[in-house]
Amino acid sequence: MTEILPESRIIIHLSVMASIWLTSLVVLPVALLTAITFLRKKKTQQKGQPDWSIPTLDNHADRNSFFHNWNPAAKVASLLLYCFLIVSLKTFACSVTALVISLFAVYFSKLPWLPSLQRLAAMSGFLIMFLLVIPFSSREQPGETLLIFPLLSRFPFHLNGFFLALTIVIKACAIALLMEPMLGTSSLSATLQGFTRIGVPVPIIQMILLTHRYIFVFHQEMVRMQRSMKVRGYTARTDVLTMKTMGNFFGMLFISSYDRTQKVYEAMLCRGYKGIFPTFHTREISGKDLAKGGIWIMIGLVLLLIERLPSAP
Amino acid sequence: MHLSSSDYHLNGPAVADLLFAIEGLSFVYPDGNQALTDIALSISKGDRIALVGKNGSGKSTLVKHLNGLLPLQSGSLRYREKKTGPSIQSVLRQEIGILFQDPENHLFCNTIFENVAFGPMNQGRSRDEVEELVRGCLETVGLSHLMYKPAHLLSYGQKKRAALASILVMKPEVLILDEPTANLDPKQERILKELLAGFPGTLIIIDHDLLFLYDICERAVVLADGRIHHDYSIRELVSSQNSLKEHGLDFTFRFACCGGQHKPAPTSPHQHYHFSHDHGKNGAHAPAVPEAPILELQHFNYQYPDGTIGISDINLIVYPGETLAVVGENGAGKSTLAACLLGLNHGEGYFFSKGKKMDCRLHRALWRQVGMVFQNTADQLFCPSCWEEVAFGPQQMKLPAIEIKERVAEALHSVQLTGYEHRIPLHLSGGERKRLAIAAALSMHPEILLLDEPTASLDPKSQELLLKILEKLDMTKIIITHDMFFIRNLSKRTIVMHQGRIIRDYPTPAFLADKHIQASNGLDYTYKNTCLEEIMDLQRNHTAAAG
Amino acid sequence: MHISDGVLPTTISLAAYAATALGIGLSLKILRQEDLPKIAVVTSSFFVASLIHLPLGPTSVHLLLPGIVGALLGPAAFLSITIGLFLQSILFQFGGLTALGANAMMMGLPALFCGFLFRAIRGTTLLTNTVAGAVAGGLGTLLAATILAGFLYTSGENFFGVAKLALVAHIPVIIIEAAVSAFIISFIFRVKPEMLHSAPRQQHGITGHPSDHCHD
Repeated sequence: MTEILPESRIIIHLSVMASIWLTSLVVLPVALLTAITFLRKKKTQQKGQPDWSIPTLDNHADRNSFFHNWNPAAKVASLLLYCFLIVSLKTFACSVTALVISLFAVYFSKLPWLPSLQRLAAMSGFLIMFLLVIPFSSREQPGETLLIFPLLSRFPFHLNGFFLALTIVIKACAIALLMEPMLGTSSLSATLQGFTRIGVPVPIIQMILLTHRYIFVFHQEMVRMQRSMKVRGYTARTDVLTMKTMGNFFGMLFISSYDRTQKVYEAMLCRGYKGIFPTFHTREISGKDLAKGGIWIMIGLVLLLIERLPSAP
Repeated sequence: MHLSSSDYHLNGPAVADLLFAIEGLSFVYPDGNQALTDIALSISKGDRIALVGKNGSGKSTLVKHLNGLLPLQSGSLRYREKKTGPSIQSVLRQEIGILFQDPENHLFCNTIFENVAFGPMNQGRSRDEVEELVRGCLETVGLSHLMYKPAHLLSYGQKKRAALASILVMKPEVLILDEPTANLDPKQERILKELLAGFPGTLIIIDHDLLFLYDICERAVVLADGRIHHDYSIRELVSSQNSLKEHGLDFTFRFACCGGQHKPAPTSPHQHYHFSHDHGKNGAHAPAVPEAPILELQHFNYQYPDGTIGISDINLIVYPGETLAVVGENGAGKSTLAACLLGLNHGEGYFFSKGKKMDCRLHRALWRQVGMVFQNTADQLFCPSCWEEVAFGPQQMKLPAIEIKERVAEALHSVQLTGYEHRIPLHLSGGERKRLAIAAALSMHPEILLLDEPTASLDPKSQELLLKILEKLDMTKIIITHDMFFIRNLSKRTIVMHQGRIIRDYPTPAFLADKHIQASNGLDYTYKNTCLEEIMDLQRNHTAAAG
Repeated sequence: MHISDGVLPTTISLAAYAATALGIGLSLKILRQEDLPKIAVVTSSFFVASLIHLPLGPTSVHLLLPGIVGALLGPAAFLSITIGLFLQSILFQFGGLTALGANAMMMGLPALFCGFLFRAIRGTTLLTNTVAGAVAGGLGTLLAATILAGFLYTSGENFFGVAKLALVAHIPVIIIEAAVSAFIISFIFRVKPEMLHSAPRQQHGITGHPSDHCHD
């Protein structure tokens, strides 16, 4: 049943069947994301709390593809710029195009799909919240379509809001999918060195590398500590004893890292560290690298222009 | 009775080869701790020095002076006739390599290649040179196949060797090793020993393991309370039982003799107590055993999520009150088996606990029955006081407060830590921490106590005490260890694991006599015993001469 | 909770990037170069800690830790948090590279503020330290949630609902965070008080503590 009100809003009261159909349409992508999350959790954990085992980024950096053969500095610079162009998109159609381009990018990078899917799963919580909240809470605009679900008549479902949320989700997915081709196709140190070429200070990159290395050390330490807590009967609950135990546990973790700082620094000094990690001059950026970057930026600009140019009368 | 320094040098190498000349060196930490007092020491090219002494005797502080990590406070330290100062500090750091105890501290780059290349690159070598050096060095330590792997994928022994490679690649004049054998299994230890034997320069080794030192070093420098108490040959050190005792190094309590003939080992037929399945056609099952076991595994397997086989076809019966030693090389599945018994790993097969077949509910309650003491106490102790540490398990069991109090007192008493209630676990010594970890398991009144390498990186004195404590505990004990002496003194029965299987399960005397199995497992005990007997001879001669 | 890519308008994410860059620049100015590797190593442990989930009724939450990072690192907290967030986004896609600036402001500013506050009120006894830890931990999360809501507010009216929800959803996290922070600080105060006196930058320069004592 459709009624047209003076403010020229379109309000559609949904029948039960129609609302089930529509809901399932919305729920489908959400369910897909959740399923991936679930699968991922099942893979990495046995029981109890989720174990975000730390992925290795550059497992497949030795393959051969469009992205692998691209100078890391040029790759990082142009893809990052491209990402910002994608963020600036506002229309649904252009965002979907960007998503399709990203899917092709993953395909042509010859990387496995699982890490990319895991990235999508990692964002799912935040994005599902958008999909569920914005359509019901967004501001009314003239001429927009409202869906009224049975039993939820006080909270009209704004179709505009829904598309806004969906656009955001799709943009986020488009960018997330680009990350594996961007970061997983060169060795980690080469990729991070690429960041220094676009203005990130060298000390920061070195700190990132060091942090990355010791994440694995502390993660193993943490897993071992958790095992020993488990055999002494520890189960996490929502109570004060759990919080106290966690407080001790974190405190121990921080103290052990604090003790390690000095030793690592001394080990570095002993091997001639003088405040800078030595690197060899990396491969020069060739014309081909620049051309590849140019293509990506062009694609981004074209998408943006299509959207921003006044549509034909 | 204390010899002053440099007696050894009267007939030592020529003075022309002098590397270090230290006179009157003292050092006080900012917190007022006098770490070194009036040290006089000379080190010549090619010296192989064992630096020994109790914890806190100043060994680490001394070696940190040698490679310029600590500034000179008073006294003089000359390296190759040059006085140390800021100018020579970088020379020292380049030419004096130091390997800390924890290899993770050395592996601060992401791949092994980058780690090893860090030093030569800092020395300003060209890319080709670095590449060649790194390859050569990794070849030497046997890690070429892991060159581009990230460090966290390596085993402990491999990490240790990678760290060693990253120092050797800088071609140090002097190599200092801080507790190099800590946490290494006999096989890795032997590899390390061979690497060190091949090192052409000067060696300084800090360790508790006199057998290891005796083999590599010629000279012993004994520190106590920041002073040099002895500086003589290692033969003199090991032959004088008195000075060993004085410095907490007396390991003769562990005199174990493992002579005997190689006997054919029992073959695969195994016994079951519980009837769970029909016997195979090959008739591998021996008649059922009479006594009721506390725990039984039949054809038990565990596979890691990534597909690696942890243990396979394990048949194991543990009787109440017995002490079982589990031996095997690293990666043989000992720790995996322990994790299965603890309920941390869910394996497949028949698992009986006190006559009941394991199900999900029983599995979740396994922790009440089995207490565990992990190899590394740092993984286990996380409370701000010893009392809380020991009370943690009973608290999780939701016991009444009074009982918790009783249990804590009792557990602390049984490991001789009464009075430590308010001490901070992190500040205790290695031996005390180990005993505290045992108390933390005991307070839960487990029926079975599992210990993973209880003696690893403990000094001989703490080991002796630990042995006494373990002897007194009358519960069922399963001890995973490489320590022949502990096996001999504690266990009646030994099982040998290899590649995830139990290949031998026999009385301990049979194992001790089984030289073949020891050698084939890389458990190089016989060799150690030869050393030990040699040392014992020296000591007897020494006492006879003195008497 | 991290802001994902594509949520904030480009102008806001670029502005946040600029502010973060300024913050990093200032951090590099005030911190001694030899402390940078040490801060990096400590950052790893914060990273690992933020991966642990605590049960909250039927669901679970993970800690944000800005307050505790501030309390332990002081002026170095901003740098540490930005590095942690960068790694979270490149490894896990928690947050995203284009939203990194906004996330760094959201977590880094509360960390700095709580760091100064903690040092000002912590006093010298176990009790006052514990209370200060709870305040820093709770306030850090509260401020982070507020900045998150603020970012969403500035992004347009359509986001008001999400902003409110984000604030409300953080209330239980604030309580848990305050409690756990209190326990962390009381643990460290009892076991290793020198860690609270200063960031590792002033730890013990080259004249470290006698590590002989730490040997097992």
